Amino acid sequence: MATNGKATNILWHKSSVGKLHRQELLQQKGCVIWITGLSGSGKSTLACALCQALYSRGKLTYILDGDNVRHGLNRDLSFKAEDRAENIRRIGEVAKLFADAGIICIASVISPYRRDRDACRALLPEGDFIEVFMDVPLQICESRDPKGLYKLARAGKIKGFTGIDDPYEPPLNCELVLPQKGINYASPCEMAETVISFLEEKGFLQA
Amino acid sequence: MSTMGNSTNIFWQESPIGKLERQKLLNQKGCVVWITGLSGSGKSTLACSLSRELYTRGKLSYILDGDNLRHGLNKDLGFKADDRTENIRRVGEVAKLFADTGLICIASLISPYRKDRDACRAMLPDANFIEARLLEDGLHEHVRQEIQKAFTSLHVLERLKIFSPYLDLISLHSRSYIQPGFTGIDDPYEPPLNCEIEIQQKDGDCPTPGAMAGEVVSYLEEKGWDVYQQASGSNM
Repeated sequence: MATNGKATNILWHKSSVGKLHRQELLQQKGCVIWITGLSGSGKSTLACALCQALYSRGKLTYILDGDNVRHGLNRDLSFKAEDRAENIRRIGEVAKLFADAGIICIASVISPYRRDRDACRALLPEGDFIEVFMDVPLQICESRDPKGLYKLARAGKIKGFTGIDDPYEPPLNCELVLPQKGINYASPCEMAETVISFLEEKGFLQA
Repeated sequence: MSTMGNSTNIFWQESPIGKLERQKLLNQKGCVVWITGLSGSGKSTLACSLSRELYTRGKLSYILDGDNLRHGLNKDLGFKADDRTENIRRVGEVAKLFADTGLICIASLISPYRKDRDACRAMLPDANFIEARLLEDGLHEHVRQEIQKAFTSLHVLERLKIFSPYLDLISLHSRSYIQPGFTGIDDPYEPPLNCEIEIQQKDGDCPTPGAMAGEVVSYLEEKGWDVYQQASGSNM
């Protein structure tokens, strides 16, 4: 296999088109950016900003949003504990396929349990799983309450809502924590640029 | 707020970058090529050569192989009818995501039940679902039918409950080799009634994988899947 990334040096295996071929075609390396955090911490907002910024650099991304996936692949799952774990497992497996396809796959899911996130990390080659923790205090998330869910949870209308009556286990050792320390109100674009710098540094934005 | 089976609290998140933007970036249209056929009919081989043909034309594709997926996403599923249906459903949903990303997603799996394949077709709007059926060649079909007959005889003998140590021996021997519910032997394959592409392997004149892939690529080119065109009534 090629050591310098040039197309002419990639051995053609008669069997199939592989990950390296796809990387060469796309001029990027597939990976999974796993954005985790409380509801209202800004995961989807960051995902969209990141997607847009990467597109303007000619990079192919796809967002696997927890809510959206529950409309399709995971529409058979509820919010019971075992179904939450299965929800995350399936998203992890799909993200793995996307990364293999050469896509920068952005998973935006609360994913509150450490064990489930770590299981997804284990699916991918080392370095290809980039965990981004949206470290925003509960009070701020609740004050935003973009979908009105905290209000419902406080009124007892939703049971087992993360942050209210179900735990969120923050990552112990993730690749990125946002917003960065000392920056109280980083805009989504600024946070996206932080992620992009990381991707650039690690070589994901080239073949 | 959208409503759905399990909760009214799940929303739909919109992204500024959509399928059109991604197709423009890739200069192709996302779609699903669903290759169906009996075990051993050449689906994986076709999938690989199709992927290769597309790559040489600068097109990005990705193969979802039924066997491979059963080691990952679908590792919790068996071969009972319900599990087969769920297997196909999940593959369909994932293929839909890949098509939405702008890739030519090649799904290669037996997918024996018409109802399940049609359900996947229904998931994809705008005729983005291209069903390609691989027919068996004559020899393959003959061998399979012989095995099927033998298996049926076994069923009959067992039902008659003829006590015989030989029968027990044969039964044990065969059962250890034959997976219950094996498509084409012990479980039906329902061919498509109206698929986009049918590929026939003729006795003694087997088309090369390259030639078969060429048939699919010609179809895609004819339908304009290989080129992104600026919208003005173009069907995407």
